[in-house]
Amino acid sequence: MGIIYVLGILIIGALAAFFVDDLNRKWTGPVAMLAGFGAAAAFAFLPGGIVRWRILGFSMHWETDALAGFFAWIVLGLSALALMYSVKYMEGKARQGYFYASFLTSVAGMFGVAVSKDLLSFFIFWEIMTWTSFLLAIYNAYYGVETKGIKYIIFSAIGAYAMLTAIVLALGQYHSLEFSDLMAAGAFRFSSGNWYIPVLLLLGFAVKAAVLPLHVWAPAVYPKTPMSFTAVFSGAMSKMGILGMLLILTGIFRSATGWELTLVRWVLGWLGGLTAAWATLQAIRQNDAKDLLAWSSVAQLGYIVTAVSTGTRLGLMAALYLALLHAAFKGSLFMVAGAVEKQAGTTDFRRISGLIKRMPWTFLTALIAIISLAGIPPLGGFVGKWLLYESLISETHAYFLVILIFFASTSAFLYSYRFLFGLFLGQEEEEAKQITEVSWWMLIPMLALSAVSVVTGMYPGLIFRPAARALESIGLPAGQWDMSILSNVWGNQTDVFTVGSTVGILFVLWALFITFKGKKNTRWLTTKEISTSGEIPAPEDNCTFQRGFFQPFERAVGRLYRSSMDQLWEDIGAALEAFFGFIRKIYTGNAQTYAMYVIIFVVLLILFRNYIF
Amino acid sequence: MTGNWLIELTGIVLTALLAFTVGMFYGGLRRKVIARAQNRVGPPVYQNFLDLLKLQGKTTNVTHGLMTHLAPVWVLVAAITALLFIPVLHGGLWFPNFTFKGDLIFLLYLMVMGSLGMALGVGETGNPNGAIGVSRGLSLITGYEIPFVLSLVAIMIQFHTTSLTDLMHYQQATGHWIARENPFAFLAALFSVLGMFHYSPFDIIGAPAELASGPMSEFGGKYLGSLMTGGSIFAFVKLVLITDLFLGGAGHPDAYTGAAGVLLGLVELVIKTFLLYMIPVSIGIVMPRFRTEQAVRFFWRWPLLFGALGIIWAVFWK
Repeated sequence: MGIIYVLGILIIGALAAFFVDDLNRKWTGPVAMLAGFGAAAAFAFLPGGIVRWRILGFSMHWETDALAGFFAWIVLGLSALALMYSVKYMEGKARQGYFYASFLTSVAGMFGVAVSKDLLSFFIFWEIMTWTSFLLAIYNAYYGVETKGIKYIIFSAIGAYAMLTAIVLALGQYHSLEFSDLMAAGAFRFSSGNWYIPVLLLLGFAVKAAVLPLHVWAPAVYPKTPMSFTAVFSGAMSKMGILGMLLILTGIFRSATGWELTLVRWVLGWLGGLTAAWATLQAIRQNDAKDLLAWSSVAQLGYIVTAVSTGTRLGLMAALYLALLHAAFKGSLFMVAGAVEKQAGTTDFRRISGLIKRMPWTFLTALIAIISLAGIPPLGGFVGKWLLYESLISETHAYFLVILIFFASTSAFLYSYRFLFGLFLGQEEEEAKQITEVSWWMLIPMLALSAVSVVTGMYPGLIFRPAARALESIGLPAGQWDMSILSNVWGNQTDVFTVGSTVGILFVLWALFITFKGKKNTRWLTTKEISTSGEIPAPEDNCTFQRGFFQPFERAVGRLYRSSMDQLWEDIGAALEAFFGFIRKIYTGNAQTYAMYVIIFVVLLILFRNYIF
Repeated sequence: MTGNWLIELTGIVLTALLAFTVGMFYGGLRRKVIARAQNRVGPPVYQNFLDLLKLQGKTTNVTHGLMTHLAPVWVLVAAITALLFIPVLHGGLWFPNFTFKGDLIFLLYLMVMGSLGMALGVGETGNPNGAIGVSRGLSLITGYEIPFVLSLVAIMIQFHTTSLTDLMHYQQATGHWIARENPFAFLAALFSVLGMFHYSPFDIIGAPAELASGPMSEFGGKYLGSLMTGGSIFAFVKLVLITDLFLGGAGHPDAYTGAAGVLLGLVELVIKTFLLYMIPVSIGIVMPRFRTEQAVRFFWRWPLLFGALGIIWAVFWK
């Protein structure tokens, strides 16, 4: 019954937040936060159980098995923290009832997707989640909302129609919408004769997971949504696409051989790799922290899609592990962007710099999240990267794909550094002097999410074990997982606990040495007292290097930067418009032409009556 | 990791000392070699030790903030940690430290940790020259890391292992260097080493004439001293890594054991690493400087091709 309670708490919370907003605006945020934590608590303490009911002849089936539980924890945990963050982040903003009601309904939708065990309720929850997130994506009445918001809804609609078609076809073919029935009947196999069912479903999931070339909505919408929801948008909602892919591809993975697996590995794997590389290149040249993070989300999802496509023990573990870790670090990074936006008014690198002394805790969060994102040991992100590489090298032998992924991940250092440097380092602006640290209501969720990266850096087993149970619950081999020793199929190991403690101990020792050696004679200067050309910049001067930061890299990449995926879609749009313009010419508005159509139709009917009837 | 913790600790300290001494001497040798090539007398070989003493002895030190303060720590920690996960000599001759606890993918990522920590510290100084240097340095990493990864992937798939000790063991057992077993991978790795050392023609990062030594410009005293120590150890790490990977490592535990074995092994290691080190040094003497995009594009051309050939070679090997 836990499922009902969780959904109930979220829906009632949404309604309550909506109406409380009219009574007293101060209470809207706390009510929504309570609902978020209440739902997480209900999920933690009440047995999930199985819910089955019938409506209009369709049976609904919700169940919290290990896989649903894994994704439900990503959704509920991240959402509860994001709602806590929202309380102060949204303070003083308009239409809070609208915001929180959509937020909580969206969380309910995501939770529903995670626990759905039949295609129909999966689709219904999927649409709830999509529509409410669209409402939030257009919450900020910004310039260009009609083109950017519409991009999201058009791509979601393409995905939704694809899924709906697949559902109708599946119902017609197999007379059931239960995942287990369809799986048993082999409905999700390309070799079943109904290859279009899994293809259409995967298309729908690929939209949500922002896979190339369906990703264009994500960089448009993520930066414009209120940051507290973008954390969930990118951290949890995009993972629903990954969950869907896992559910559909399980049957193919279980067969373990054959052309279907090869096809998935080649097509989906390379699409993921290209997404990662392309989005990373785009992220590098962004000048706004939010745009950078949006592109980076697309890139990280690319890794996860590649990891899913392997279908092997290490690869699938990498997918689940990265899904959770990405929720943690990208969630906190979007919160950092929100915090800077709230305190400094902008996240444009060219307009602010040197916030480290004003917002030290926010910087700490950003630092941990970025190290984890870049995959540098000893934090959690490294483990995910390790699993992905080892799986591609030793299990699926995708040697050139691993190079592409590695290129993306090395280039990710560039934008990782840019994010930290652009917002927090460099010379301080005079006007930035009055900026203060954000409230603890915002810091605690950020720090809590950072803690995930730190802890999993030494004890990744904390995630491996639930993830392994999740994989086993859909019948995939997960094997044994150690608490902190990673090992690949060749038996080579990396002990992240030793790594973490070595780095930690050496760091502390040398930090103490460098701090206490000649402590009295160490002068701490401001960022203006620099040794450039023997001149000290005046207070109003700011020599921070921000414009065209990675120009040399952009020049090296060269021609690639001149093409744009948006342009491709615009060309497709223009072509479609021309085509429909041509079709429109049939409707001339002249009664005589219409009469001619009727006559032609009748003549055709008479001519071909033997074939038609 | 067997034996008690005291021996392990001694091993760690001795390894670090060895790396430090050899790295510092190599730095001095480089200065000497460059000087002789330019028909100067040059500083004595031990000049780097004198410089370090001077830097650590400075009474006044200047820093710009916590990240700047900690930047040298990152560099040093990354260098020593990488050192502890790389076998110095063949099994049993020198302390194993943590060589069984980390594989090549891990080392690959560990080796960029220092650069990124340094980059953060440089960013906080507020010196625009430093930030420009960082931008160039990070761009260059995307250049030389790709051929390096290609060559590593090539030998990983050729020998079905990602462990450095396994690769060394193979070379010891068969007597065939991997440089011979997969020459293309070795070539790609050699090119990457040129980039890793940041000597000419890839020294745009800290180009003294135009950037006032770039990232280093705000560091002095104990900070520069620590950076120098870290840099020396890291130079040794890179040389030992390539020697272990491609040149058969050093030491022959089957033939010599005990003190003689260690001594002979170290001599062999010094000869191999020195010859390897002379490649970037001598190329640096005669080459002018590449612009950043030229350098990156250079790595994305020939070295990348060699790396790809290395992978193809590895796939069709045996």
